[in-house]
Amino acid sequence: MNIKTGIGFRKDFAEEFLTGSVLKPGFVELAPENWMKIGGYWKKKLNQLAKMYPITSHGLSLSVGSPETLDMEFLKNVKQFLKEYNIEIYSEHLSFSKCDNAHLYDLLPIPFREDAVKHVAERIKQVQDFLGRRIAIENVSYYTPVAAEMDEATFVSNVIEEADCNLLLDVNNVYVNSFNHNYDAKSFIEKLPLNRVAYIHMAGHTKVAPDLIIDTHGEAIIDPVYELFEWTLDKVKPVPVLLERDFNIPELAEMQFELNNLEAIMTRKWETENKSIVVSK
Amino acid sequence: MLLKTETYKQQSSIAQYCRDGKEVAILNAKPERLPHYRRLVFNVVKDALETTYPISHKYIDSEVWKEIVFNFFSEHKCKDPQVWRMPFEFYEFCKTKNYDEKYDLPFLNNLLYFEWVEVELYMMEDISLPQFLYSDNWLQKRIAVNPEHKIIKLEYPVHMEKPFDTVNKKGDYFLLLYREKETGRIQFTNLSILFTFLLENIVSAEKTLEEIFNDILYIFGINHLEMLQNESFKFLNDLKTRGFVLGVYKK
Repeated sequence: MNIKTGIGFRKDFAEEFLTGSVLKPGFVELAPENWMKIGGYWKKKLNQLAKMYPITSHGLSLSVGSPETLDMEFLKNVKQFLKEYNIEIYSEHLSFSKCDNAHLYDLLPIPFREDAVKHVAERIKQVQDFLGRRIAIENVSYYTPVAAEMDEATFVSNVIEEADCNLLLDVNNVYVNSFNHNYDAKSFIEKLPLNRVAYIHMAGHTKVAPDLIIDTHGEAIIDPVYELFEWTLDKVKPVPVLLERDFNIPELAEMQFELNNLEAIMTRKWETENKSIVVSK
Repeated sequence: MLLKTETYKQQSSIAQYCRDGKEVAILNAKPERLPHYRRLVFNVVKDALETTYPISHKYIDSEVWKEIVFNFFSEHKCKDPQVWRMPFEFYEFCKTKNYDEKYDLPFLNNLLYFEWVEVELYMMEDISLPQFLYSDNWLQKRIAVNPEHKIIKLEYPVHMEKPFDTVNKKGDYFLLLYREKETGRIQFTNLSILFTFLLENIVSAEKTLEEIFNDILYIFGINHLEMLQNESFKFLNDLKTRGFVLGVYKK
């Protein structure tokens, strides 16, 4: 079985994961928030899924960048969920989605500042201590800096190092940010703690203005992002790679085509050197 | 907190802007790009509400609906980290704000509640079935039922008719909603006040069916026990066929 490339589990085409023959991911990713503490029809589907595929999880609501204290009740539920489905990779975003005790359900940019580095790193450490595992934190796409006092690469690197956590490297986000904020994507990646990359995300995006790309996960991956991905693989150890597709869902064969493309690159870059990737089931 | 007050203020400003859209000054930000955040955040909330409340969204005037959703997100601090649960907060918000009166939508609270209960039941965690036996002798036993259910009371029959057709039909409407164990589908059935009393007592599992019948005779002033039993058995057998009544408790 293909154990290298995965895709996000979506209710829109859940049946295809369970009974179909077109989509053949090596693992599936889901957001714990959408699947924990549920029952009925979708719980049954989730249980079926867990018997068929290794699962990775990518959170949305932990909000490591929030000013307020962590929601320990929420974390307790996440911990239980990870245990129930034997999930090894739990990742979250380097952003905030809650402020002044109000959830916003989307990812807002944290100010790139020294005090924010310390604050966020401390929160990630608390999460890791509670979960008893290292988590992976994703570099997010952002459309405007907020009160920045350092560059993005320094901010991301400092948080990851200080929290002693893993890095979920979202290659598309690097591309999006390099376009939106006019920097060199490769130089950015070289500044990151690449020895800590534990997981990679790839996705498509949407250009909404001549100088702005939105990270929609609603289009196919474009060639420059594939090229950046290929270049990046030379610099990191073999890790699972996920294709994100949340909107404007195409024919499943098209998504499988993208998974095949990713896997071909990974094989060329990694397997020729006898490196192996494992996602535990 | 290791975060400086100034950093917190910047975060709070962009978050508040996403919620209410009021212009803010954020250090080093590109103002022309801030609306994208507002749009992305608002769309998540809007989509979640439209998914949970498809009937409300369909029948309430689109401008009114937009205004209600806008008010909710700008004034209310969403508490639940699970976005699918957030619409319950919307229902509570509308109730607190008396939007049924303000927008002349007398059925609003009932409609939102009915739609929410369907989602809540559909998604709720599984509850184990009680230990039960199949038996033809129900009278001296406690009846076991599917625990994944809810009995609700509405003032407007929004579960049967288009919302605006219910406006002049204010009354007492009792409903049983339950989740089918096999399919996970939500079913609902209308209840008379008498059968509501009967079911509520069965659900509490404290009395035998005979004891409940005696209570009904007393409370409802009914003289015909045989008729009560016949009608009740017919009703309960129908619920058994549908998988809601399971049998009788083992102990």
